[in-house]
Amino acid sequence: MTDATHSGTASGVLPDGTAIDRADIATNPPQRALHLHRELDRVWADLPGWRGFFTSVNHGTIGLRFMATSFVFFAIGGVLAMLIRAQLATREGAFLDTDLYNQIFTMHGTIMMFLFAIPMLEGLGLWLLPKILGARDMAFPRLSALGYFCYLFGGSVIVLSLLFGVAPDDGWFMYTPLSDRTHSPGVNADVWLLGVTFVEISAMAAAVEITVTILRCRAAHMPLTRMPLMGWYLLGTSVMMLVGFPPLILGSILLEVQRAFDWPFFDVARGGDPLLWQHLFWLFGHPEVYIIFLPAAGALSTIIPVLSRTTILGYGAIVAAIIGLVFLSFGLWVHHMFTVGIPHMALAFFSAASALVAVPTAVQIFAWIGTMWDGKVQMRLPMLYVMGFFATFVMGGLTGVMLAMVPFNWQAHDTAFVTAHLHYVLIGGFVFPMLAAVTYWMPLICGRWRIRGLGEAAFWLILIGFHGTFFLMHLTGLLGMPRRIDVYPGNPEWEWLNLTSSVFGMIQSAGFALFAFDIIMQWLFGRRSWRNPWKAPTLDWAMPVPSPSYNFASLPGPRQPDADAILPLARGEGLLPGAPRGLRETLVVEPASGRPQHVAVLATNTALPVLTSAAIGSFFGAMLLGFYWLAPLGILATIIVAWRWGAIMGSTEDRAPAQVAPDLHLPLHFQVRNTLALTGAVALLVGDATLYASLLFGVGFLTVVAPGWPAPPSGLEMPVLVAGLAAVAAMAVGSVAARLAEANRARPSGHLWTLVGTGMAVLALVMLGVVAMGLDDPTRHARDALRGVVVGFAVAHGVIAGLLALRSHLDHRQGRVGANRYGAIPGWRLFQDFWLATSAISLAVVLAQEVL
Amino acid sequence: MGWVARALAGPTLWAVLFSVVYALHGTGCNLGWTDRSVLFTDLHHAAMWVAWGLGLVLHGALVVTMPKGQEGRRRWIIVAGAWIGLVSSVFTLFPVIATSTCF
Ligand SMILES: [Cu+2]
Repeated sequence: MTDATHSGTASGVLPDGTAIDRADIATNPPQRALHLHRELDRVWADLPGWRGFFTSVNHGTIGLRFMATSFVFFAIGGVLAMLIRAQLATREGAFLDTDLYNQIFTMHGTIMMFLFAIPMLEGLGLWLLPKILGARDMAFPRLSALGYFCYLFGGSVIVLSLLFGVAPDDGWFMYTPLSDRTHSPGVNADVWLLGVTFVEISAMAAAVEITVTILRCRAAHMPLTRMPLMGWYLLGTSVMMLVGFPPLILGSILLEVQRAFDWPFFDVARGGDPLLWQHLFWLFGHPEVYIIFLPAAGALSTIIPVLSRTTILGYGAIVAAIIGLVFLSFGLWVHHMFTVGIPHMALAFFSAASALVAVPTAVQIFAWIGTMWDGKVQMRLPMLYVMGFFATFVMGGLTGVMLAMVPFNWQAHDTAFVTAHLHYVLIGGFVFPMLAAVTYWMPLICGRWRIRGLGEAAFWLILIGFHGTFFLMHLTGLLGMPRRIDVYPGNPEWEWLNLTSSVFGMIQSAGFALFAFDIIMQWLFGRRSWRNPWKAPTLDWAMPVPSPSYNFASLPGPRQPDADAILPLARGEGLLPGAPRGLRETLVVEPASGRPQHVAVLATNTALPVLTSAAIGSFFGAMLLGFYWLAPLGILATIIVAWRWGAIMGSTEDRAPAQVAPDLHLPLHFQVRNTLALTGAVALLVGDATLYASLLFGVGFLTVVAPGWPAPPSGLEMPVLVAGLAAVAAMAVGSVAARLAEANRARPSGHLWTLVGTGMAVLALVMLGVVAMGLDDPTRHARDALRGVVVGFAVAHGVIAGLLALRSHLDHRQGRVGANRYGAIPGWRLFQDFWLATSAISLAVVLAQEVL
Repeated sequence: MGWVARALAGPTLWAVLFSVVYALHGTGCNLGWTDRSVLFTDLHHAAMWVAWGLGLVLHGALVVTMPKGQEGRRRWIIVAGAWIGLVSSVFTLFPVIATSTCF
C-alpha cells in the first residue's frame, strides 16, 4: 500500500468548489502524545455515567453495544433452539404444545436473522470501519445511535411478546395467507411485521452510513482499488442492504395495511395474490444470505493473511468476485419458490443463476486456500475458527448447489435437509467467521489478552456439537421428515437421528456458553495486551490498545499507510492532529482516488437519537395496539424531533479553513456543497428508489399473474386525473424553484424561491389530497389498493420535500446560506427531483392502466 | 466515480437484461404471445430472443470499450466485471432458446 501516492498529483478546485491538493503531503511537526491524547479525549469521549448511555454517538461505543446486544439475543435464540431440540428428541414430544412450538420456531428464526446476524454485522462494521480505513468516526454518528435504539426497542418488543404468549407463530417467512387476519387473528403477526420493520430502520441507517463512510471517510490517498478488502466486503454488504431490505419493508407495510385496514394485496378473491408476498420476501431473503456472508468473508480475508504471515492472494479477483456476488444474488430469489407453480422457463432462469453464484464464492475460497498455502499458517485461536468455517461452509455450499437443481429441490423441499443446509451456510458462513473476528479483535476492544485454553475448548465443543447436530439432519431430511413439525408419532425411523441431533445440540450450546465465558474472563482478568499482537499490517492496529475514543491522534496520510505508522500518528505527524478547534473533525476524501476534499465536523454527544427512536416507536406502538387514530400523532412527533436534527447542522458564518498539514488547508464541511450528508441522501434515495421499484414490481406482478383480473371498471373521473396532473406540475415548478434557490442563495432575493418551493409542495399535497378523495374504495380490489399505496408514497415524499423546502427557507432567513454555504438546499433539490420523478411515473402507470 | 461505474457496468447490464427478459416472459404469457407466430417461431420467443441478443451485443461492447485508459489493478477489475456480466447473461438466460414457455 506504500505507493498510494501514485494516483494523480493534480492540485486545484473541483467543479463544485471543493479543494483538492497534491498527493505528497508533508508531515506535521511531532508533538507530545499525551497532550494530544488529553485534548482529543475531551472532545470525543462519551459523557460519564448513565447520561453516556443515552447520549453517546461515538462509533466505538455504539458498535460495541450493537455487538453485545446481538450476543444477548443470540443467547435467547439459542435457548429457543434447545427447546426445539428437546421437543423433537422423542416421537411424541410432550414437552411443548403445538401453539407454543409454532411461536418458538418462528421466534428462533426471527431472532437469529433480524436480532442477531444483521445487528452483529452492523456492530462490527460500525466499530471497525473507521479504524481500518483511517478515520475518527463514521460519517453520521447520530444515525448510528438512532439505529441502535430502534434495534434495542424493536428487538425488546419482539422478545417480550414471547413472555406474554403473543409471539409471532407463522414462521419467520410469514407466508400469506397463513399470516392474514383470517388465519392469524391475534396480534402475533403484527408483532412480527411492526417489530421487524422497526428494527429494519436501523439496518437501513447502518447501510447508508457504512456506504458513505467507505466511499468518503478513508485515509488520504487510499484509492478504492487499494483499500483493505474488508472495506470492499462491507461496501458490498451495505449496497446489498440498501437494495435488499426495501422489498421486505414494502411487503411488511402492505401486509400490515391488509391486516389493519383490509386492503386486499394478498387476497385472491379480490385481485391479490399470496405469491406476491413470497416474491417480496425472497427478493430480500436470498440476498440476505449474502448480506450475512460478505462481512464474514471480509473478516476471513483480513485474518487469514495475517495469521498465515503473508499477503492475500488475488486482491483483484476477490474484488471482482464481490461485485459478481452482489449482483448475482439478486437473481436467485425464486429458488425458494420452486414448488409453488412457476413457469418452466422461470425455473430454468433461476436454477441457472443459483448454480452460477457458486463461482464467485469458489473464487474467494480458492484465494483463501492459496493464501494459506503461500504462507506459514499459525494455528492460533482465530485460525481454528477459520478452519471451522472451511469445514462447515464448503459443505453448506455443496448442498446449496444440490438444492439449486430443480428436480432435487422438489424432492427435498421443506424437509430437514433444507434446515441442515441453511444452518451449514449460516453457522459456517457467518457464526464461525464472526467468532474468529471477535477473538481476533478482542485485544483492541478491551486491551487485554485472553486466558489460555478456554477458547480452544469452546471451539471444539462448538465444532463437534454443530456437526453432530446438523449433519444428521441431512439424513433425517432425506428420510422425509418435514420442517416445522412438532410431533411424528407414525415415524419411528426418525427418532434415533433426532435424539442424537438433540444430544449434540446440547454440546454445541455448552460450547457457545463457554465462548461467552471466555470473552468475559478476558475482559475482566486478562493480562494487558501489547500493541498489534498479531503483527497485522492494517490501520486498525496503528493505535493504542484498547482503542481510544478518537482512534487516531492524527489521521493517516500517504506517508502513514499501515500499522507501522503507530508512533508517528500518535505524535501528531499525520493529518489534522488533535482537536484545536474543539470540534469532532475527520477528513473527507474523493470517493475513487481518496484525494482529501474537506474536513467534516461531526455531531457530538446528544440525546436526539434516543428521542427520535422513541417518537418512531410511539407510531409503531400505536399501530401494534390497534390505536390507529393515535398513530398519526407518532408520525407528528417523529417530524418534530427530526426537525431538530437539521437545526444543529450548518453555520451562520464563514469559517476559516482547517490546517490539515503544513501546506494543506481544507474547508470545513459548512462551506462545501458535496458534503457527507449529500452523499448520504443519495444512498438513502437508492434504497427509496428500490422500494418504489418493488412497488411497481407488485403492480406488474398482480396485473400479469394474479387471478381475479382485470379489475372492475374504475370510477376515476376527469377531475381526479386533472388534479393528478396539477400535482405533478406543481412538483416540477418546485424542482425549478430549488435550482433557482441554490443559484441565488447569496442574494437577498433567494428566499423568494425557497418560499415558492414551499408553496408548491403544499399545493401539490393538496392536489394529491383531491386525488386520494377521488380514488375507488381500496378494499374493493387489489388494483385500487395499490393506487392508494402509490398516492400514499407520493404524499409521504411530499411531506419530506415540503419540510426540506421550509428548512431551506428558514436557513435563508437565519443567514445559514451564502456564497460559500449551502444549508439544506442541495438535499431539498435531490428530494424534490425524486418526488417529481416517482410521481410522474405513478401517474403514467395509472393512465396506462386506464387506457390499455 | 468513473472507475466504479466502469467496474459495475457489466453486472448492471446483466441485472437489467435479466429483469427485462423475466418481465417479457410474464407479460407475454399473460397477453397470449405464444399463439402469434413471427417468422419461424412465436412472438413470445422472438421478443425474448431479441432482448437477449441485443443485450449480448451490448455486453460485448462493454468488454471491448470499458477498460480503455486504465492500468494495473484498476484495469483488471474492470475487465473481470465486464466478463462477469457477459457470462452471467449468457448462462442465466440461455433457457429462452430451448424451454417451453408458459408452464
Ligand atoms: Cu436462496
